[in-house]
Amino acid sequence: MEEDPSKSESGGGGGGAEGIINLKPKSSMPISYHPSFGPHEDLLLLEVDEKLLPHILHQRVTVRGECDEEAVLCTSSTTYAIKFVGNSNSIFLIPPFENSEFTDENGEKGDSYKAAQVLKLASGNMELVEIAPRLGKLKSLLMENPYRSEEDSVDPMEEEEYLERGKMGLYRWEDLVAKVQASDEELRAELKALSAVEINGYWRIVDDKYIDVVLSMVLHNSVLFDWNLTSLNEDEILSVLESDGFSRRISLHILEVYGSKLDTDMDMEGKCVWRLDEKRVCVHFAKGVLKEGKMKMDRFMEEWVQKIPARMSADFEMLEGEVLVEKLGVETWVRAFSVSSLPLTPADRFAALFREKQKWEMKDLHPYIRDLRVPGVSAEAQDNLQCISFAVSVYHILSVCISYAVPHKYSRLKVYRKSVVSIQQTSI
Amino acid sequence: MKIEVKCSCGDGSCPEWAIVEIQGMIEVQPCFKDRIQNLEIGILCRTSSEENYTFTVGYHELSGTKMKLKKPYLILKKKRTILDSIPDEEEDVSKANSPKIETELEVIGIIRHRILFKTRPKPLISKPQVVVKEKKSGPSTTVSVPMVQ
Repeated sequence: MEEDPSKSESGGGGGGAEGIINLKPKSSMPISYHPSFGPHEDLLLLEVDEKLLPHILHQRVTVRGECDEEAVLCTSSTTYAIKFVGNSNSIFLIPPFENSEFTDENGEKGDSYKAAQVLKLASGNMELVEIAPRLGKLKSLLMENPYRSEEDSVDPMEEEEYLERGKMGLYRWEDLVAKVQASDEELRAELKALSAVEINGYWRIVDDKYIDVVLSMVLHNSVLFDWNLTSLNEDEILSVLESDGFSRRISLHILEVYGSKLDTDMDMEGKCVWRLDEKRVCVHFAKGVLKEGKMKMDRFMEEWVQKIPARMSADFEMLEGEVLVEKLGVETWVRAFSVSSLPLTPADRFAALFREKQKWEMKDLHPYIRDLRVPGVSAEAQDNLQCISFAVSVYHILSVCISYAVPHKYSRLKVYRKSVVSIQQTSI
Repeated sequence: MKIEVKCSCGDGSCPEWAIVEIQGMIEVQPCFKDRIQNLEIGILCRTSSEENYTFTVGYHELSGTKMKLKKPYLILKKKRTILDSIPDEEEDVSKANSPKIETELEVIGIIRHRILFKTRPKPLISKPQVVVKEKKSGPSTTVSVPMVQ
């Protein structure tokens, strides 16, 4: 379909949109219905911020979502909800005079040489509201078919057959983009936060048990081969683990999740060197200890310290946002409660937190809400808000959350207070 | 589903459309209901060098102003293309069998101004005093009084 919306040319004071826009003082122009006036439901009006305009004109935006979801528009870094703003006014849409797309069957343009012709009566327009990406779904998609140890030990010859069988619940980047309502950057950041890894073209979460096995293997071998945990040679580790039956991709993934790459030294001849992150490794083992349920503090500390590598030291502060401490009489208990398991939207997050515990002290609550960001509100404002809103009832916090998320909508309503305006979600 | 938002006009050369907006609605006389195409609605007149306009519809005159939109509107055209699905070697067969409908949005224009008429219509006693060639169809539309909330 090659249609070329031709350039607007206002020849000799002609009609069309350009005639109206350039109408000279003390002159007039008839306005009539276009030969192909009609509902034209395929024509949509989208209100766009000037700063967003170049992104759209350079084809850098997409609309994302599934049929049953409310549509969002994504630039490379931001997600916007698309709302329909209804308007009781009559909005006459007038195309440019030279617009080849809208001629009647005979190719006639009627009296357009002197009139402005109304093609459609618009019932409102769509507007964009910046929102937090809707990433909640991503984790459940990736958990449909986590990467387990069996896949790693598959013979390369049988791999293809194995992949065919195991293809259910596997997602490529394109599949995720089509299913998750987030911009590319936001989606990438969340994949990283979920410790997902791209294996054979599919994004996967590696099964917890398998992660535990491979990490333990790295640590065992570090004792065996006397590796320094703060400067691990990538090649050496991947080779050693490969001979133990672990794929290079998975071993590298362990380094990515539990370590950080050091700037390569010139002496190392371009070899990659990794340093294991003490905190991340320790948190991993703490979670392992608490897997069975809550424990008394002393016993937990004892088991935890035993589990972690000899050259690392555990500190309870590391477990902020990962475990909850409860005092029952004289005893102190701990249990696993990870911020990563909580919903990503503020309202749902607070609801989940207060379901877990009715009263929170600010210092306990903070690790569980500090990652929340509401678009359009500065980080400082959000921190202030978090400070004043703690330890009250769920409903109060929820209402604060909601009210600071929507002032934009209210101001819209004021603008239109003389005519009837309705805002609704749009679906694709 | 991922819908590409296309734009073939590039930077700065998007065709500009216009909006004339009235607070109320135009009612077409019943005898013209079925052949509304090409029918004249009224006469738009720029009365002064300022952005003041009148819109004369039948025996009513509305006055309004042209204003720049704070945020421009883009006109998007929704296009649906049915793709003859060619099964990808790697693609599973079940997916490839059903014809795929691809939706595309294309930017076909931009609106930066609107002429808004939000006053109550002023009745004209005699025929409209507008210096303009007489139209064959004559006044065929009326303006209903704007809704008062």
